[in-house]
Amino acid sequence: MKFYLNIIKYKFLIFIRLNTKLDLASVLKNIGSSIIYIGFGIGAFLFSQKIIWFLLTQIKVGLFLLHQFISIILFIFFISVNVGNIIVSYSTLYKSNEINFLFTKPVDHTKIFVIKFLDNFFYSSTTLVLILLSVMAGYAVYFNLDFINVIILFLFGFVPFILSAGSLGVIILLIMIRLAVKVGLKRIVYSVGTLYILALILFFRINSPVELVNSVMKFYPIIDKDQYLSNLIPSLIKFLPNNWLAESSFWMLKNDYSNSIPLIITQCIISIILFSIALKLGKKWYFKTWLTNIQLIADYSLKRKNKFSFFNFERNSFFQSLTESFFKRDFFMFIREPSQVIHFSVLFFLILLFMLSVSGIHYIGLGNIFLQTGIFLAVLLFNLLLISTLSLRFIFPLISLEGESFWLIKSAPVNSALIIQKKYQFFGTIILIISFGLAYFSFYRFEFIIELNTILITLVSAITIITINLGMGGLFSNFKEKNAIRLSSSQGASIAFLINIFYMLFIVSILFIPLSNYFLSRMIGGHFNYYSLFNYTAPLLFISAILIHFFYKAAKKSLEKDF
Amino acid sequence: MLQIKNLSKKFGNFTAVNNITLDIQKGMLFGFLGPNGAGKTTTIKMITGLLSPSNGNIFLDGIDVWINPVDTKRRIGYIPDQPFLYDKLTGKEFLYFSGGLYSLSKTMIKQKIDDLVEALKIGSWIEKRTEEYSQGMRQRITIAAAFLHNPDLIVVDEPMVGLDPQSAFLVKKFFIMKVEEGKTIFMSTHSLNVVEEICTHAGIINNGQIIYNDSLPNLDKLITEKDNNLEQLFIQLTNEE
Repeated sequence: MKFYLNIIKYKFLIFIRLNTKLDLASVLKNIGSSIIYIGFGIGAFLFSQKIIWFLLTQIKVGLFLLHQFISIILFIFFISVNVGNIIVSYSTLYKSNEINFLFTKPVDHTKIFVIKFLDNFFYSSTTLVLILLSVMAGYAVYFNLDFINVIILFLFGFVPFILSAGSLGVIILLIMIRLAVKVGLKRIVYSVGTLYILALILFFRINSPVELVNSVMKFYPIIDKDQYLSNLIPSLIKFLPNNWLAESSFWMLKNDYSNSIPLIITQCIISIILFSIALKLGKKWYFKTWLTNIQLIADYSLKRKNKFSFFNFERNSFFQSLTESFFKRDFFMFIREPSQVIHFSVLFFLILLFMLSVSGIHYIGLGNIFLQTGIFLAVLLFNLLLISTLSLRFIFPLISLEGESFWLIKSAPVNSALIIQKKYQFFGTIILIISFGLAYFSFYRFEFIIELNTILITLVSAITIITINLGMGGLFSNFKEKNAIRLSSSQGASIAFLINIFYMLFIVSILFIPLSNYFLSRMIGGHFNYYSLFNYTAPLLFISAILIHFFYKAAKKSLEKDF
Repeated sequence: MLQIKNLSKKFGNFTAVNNITLDIQKGMLFGFLGPNGAGKTTTIKMITGLLSPSNGNIFLDGIDVWINPVDTKRRIGYIPDQPFLYDKLTGKEFLYFSGGLYSLSKTMIKQKIDDLVEALKIGSWIEKRTEEYSQGMRQRITIAAAFLHNPDLIVVDEPMVGLDPQSAFLVKKFFIMKVEEGKTIFMSTHSLNVVEEICTHAGIINNGQIIYNDSLPNLDKLITEKDNNLEQLFIQLTNEE
């Protein structure tokens, strides 16, 4: 216990000293952060109430479907936390300098394992907890839920749910390194990646939201949409933690403890079991796997060959030498960092899956104009959320990832504006291409002018979101942190994400009226002035231009800071 | 070649460098001495564009390095005290990247790499990723990167830290060779013997101020007059302050 307290004390001291600098810039940064956090908390609280109101009263999905949608979101959330934990745990448990330091001290390996596991767990969850608490508060206020029920749901429903995802991640990581000795590092990484993809496909196959909605609507109004229609849920899904959490919330709303408490107990038991297994395996395997990992890396480095000879630095290209140098450096640094490649592949796969799914949705001509506008804006919002996720994960860390080697560029005859341009060119172009694909496949069923307008909005928003993340990455740059995932889950990244959300909500709110008018004109067969859409786009362009200017300046300024 | 005029750097209330003036002529190997925290690295970082001065100017052949940073940086090579490299790049890739920053042609970079690999005895390590390098090898690659664009002025911060005797000997020999070719080297160091062995001039900084600045023969004279060695003189001067 003394060891844990000692570590926690110094971690706390480091945290406090990092966040309580008393110069004007730090104070302003902290005040700004607090305003954004509070604003976002209130925004998430109000937005969750509005969205529930919209789904229940305007679209009339009913309580059962609402909780099934929540269950699906929770599943994606579980997988994200789980995969994220595998990647972050690998860097912190096996590659960090702190571990090398601690292993030279007379400390039990299990204790080091526990402290790093909890460190990972809490480090990346601050924003998550804020969002969740605000959304839960909105949910609780909307349904007039008892305070005690909210506390039970949070402490014994959600916390164990996240703990299960994290523990499972560490268990998988330990098993992967053990197996890597026998079957090879690459093979095991590819196999686990494939298994996750199959799990996602399987989940959406057996639990298709469209089929679920259809099966509820088939029997409506014979059935009550506010009843829990458990026979419509595939049996496999009933064994998943996301379903327990969503279903226990449903029963809590009805103050039906006899149905909710068993689910909450199951959630807690499973998380305790998974956490105990993680500890047990950590005690048994952590140090062994740490040594194994060093050996694996050494073996791998001996066998390693440069597979991308096309991008070889020695080859000439038609680019200017500076552009070419930055491009090749960023390319090699990216593809040689497994966490970057794996994360990008997973996200890219999810985006492809989303593009395929969304291109199949037929909602033009549905009777309810609010439903059509809601779906249109939900799809647009989801596209922007994907763009924001990509930007947060790959653009935000860009300046910090220059790292301590930044002396080379800072002392070279290169001006900071040029560095920003190069950074935009590589990752920005990729994200813009993806954004175009998302916009095209999401809205290609509409008239050309609508599609063009949406593509334009998506691209302008993508450029704005990319710039926000680049600028915030500069304002909160940390050249000592090498791990891109830790950077993109830092305090600065959380604030960047909140600004992105504000911006996205602004876009959605500005488009609500013209889109409702458009769907109304389609329904009643009246005339719709398509160019009015562009009038509504003007404020968006104006605000975007201001944001781009401000955050571009911030990024540029951050490169001019003392190093 | 390098003129530093009334240069100061403040961090809040703390003055790291306090109104220093130096004039480094072409062909000098200037040893910049001082105890820990005296202001050596801060001065070097201001010369190389990593820290902005609070006051004063730095001129390279009459051009202010903070007014024309891009032009002056083309003529400066920098070797930092901590040789941080890009872990995932090989030594060769790092040098090509570095050459690209100075807009050098591929042919030129290739030829320079071949020469520097030979001169600094880097050998087959050039093909390995820098994450596998020892401190000495990282230092050699950093030195190679600094000389790649054939700069007129080389600014070096603590070049001997972490080097084994062979590497240290190699680096000293290399610096002497470059000065003989007409290059100018501004080198901060803790190693008094390195100053005695290879420098043509020496300056001592203490508490942010220059307390000694003269040629090596004059320094030797002072040592003889005081019946001291350089180590004793250094301690005496820095303690007096």
